[in-house]
Amino acid sequence: MNVLFLCVFVLSAGLVIVRDASAFLPALLEGAGGAVTLSLSLAAAYAVWLGFLQVAEDAGFLGGLSRAMLPLTRRLFSTKNEKALEQVSVNLAANLCGMGGAATGAGVAAMRLLDRERYSQEMFFVVNCAGLQLLPSTVLSLRVQAGSADPFSVLLPALLSSLASLLLGVLLVRLFCRR
Amino acid sequence: MNILLPVLFIIVLVAAAFRKVRVYDSFAQGAGGTLPLVKKLFPYVAAVLVLASLFEASGLSAALSKALEPALSVLGVPAPVVPLVLVKPFSGSGSLALVGQLCAQYGADSYVGRCACAVYATGETVFYLSALYFAGGGRARPVVIALLSNFAAALLACLLCRVL
Repeated sequence: MNVLFLCVFVLSAGLVIVRDASAFLPALLEGAGGAVTLSLSLAAAYAVWLGFLQVAEDAGFLGGLSRAMLPLTRRLFSTKNEKALEQVSVNLAANLCGMGGAATGAGVAAMRLLDRERYSQEMFFVVNCAGLQLLPSTVLSLRVQAGSADPFSVLLPALLSSLASLLLGVLLVRLFCRR
Repeated sequence: MNILLPVLFIIVLVAAAFRKVRVYDSFAQGAGGTLPLVKKLFPYVAAVLVLASLFEASGLSAALSKALEPALSVLGVPAPVVPLVLVKPFSGSGSLALVGQLCAQYGADSYVGRCACAVYATGETVFYLSALYFAGGGRARPVVIALLSNFAAALLACLLCRVL
């Protein structure tokens, strides 16, 4: 990541100098500004979802959800870390239902709990990147706004290709990441 | 669909109260985890977004998408959707803006519009998610795997839009 960052940065900065050197600082500031607004909206989503999830956890609901998914999650992520698997199952359930805010909150928590288990972390990251959603609500509302006659016509292609991406990702992690 | 979320909240909070959970304190305790979390994530989100912004401003991303356009067209991605496939791993808001633009320009029910929507709905913003999840302990292998499978998904989505 360090090498990638340096290479892309130097290459881009070099090109900016050639094109229009005065655009350099505004571009950096725009990116950082985006990070600030994004972090604020993330903070808002986290506050709601982490609060809600804490209530659900104290009531013992998350344990139930986690136990229901245990046969799948334990094998897929090959870990016995129950605390982490609890967050993992919340993340997967929230992702499937299109609740992005809840999903990232639980996902980050799961990654921190899986601190020393490299393989599980990598598998979890790749599974998350497939972005499997039963109802991609953002795209659907965008299509309605754009005046689509059949907003649901992209549902099946999107679902099938995310599923394919998920399977490919899992396969590649199994092949190339050491357990 | 809209009713689902409030109902879920009501059920969980009421059931928790029945189980003798101090709902207010519990919610506050959970929400208290927010700022430490954001504080830990912010540096990496900032670094990635600054880089993405510079990448865009340098014209490198536009040049790259121009260079890759013929290759991707052969693989079945319609030319207007090519920039979307390339921007997607870097910027969620950027790719959403592109989808909106394509839907407005070509029509939401056109082949291009449907491809754009399907491509957007598959996969995640890989670099952003890796900054969030690996928080500094960057790892190349899972990122490459995720990029590869997301790319395959984008190709498949365009293909399926043609058939279905």
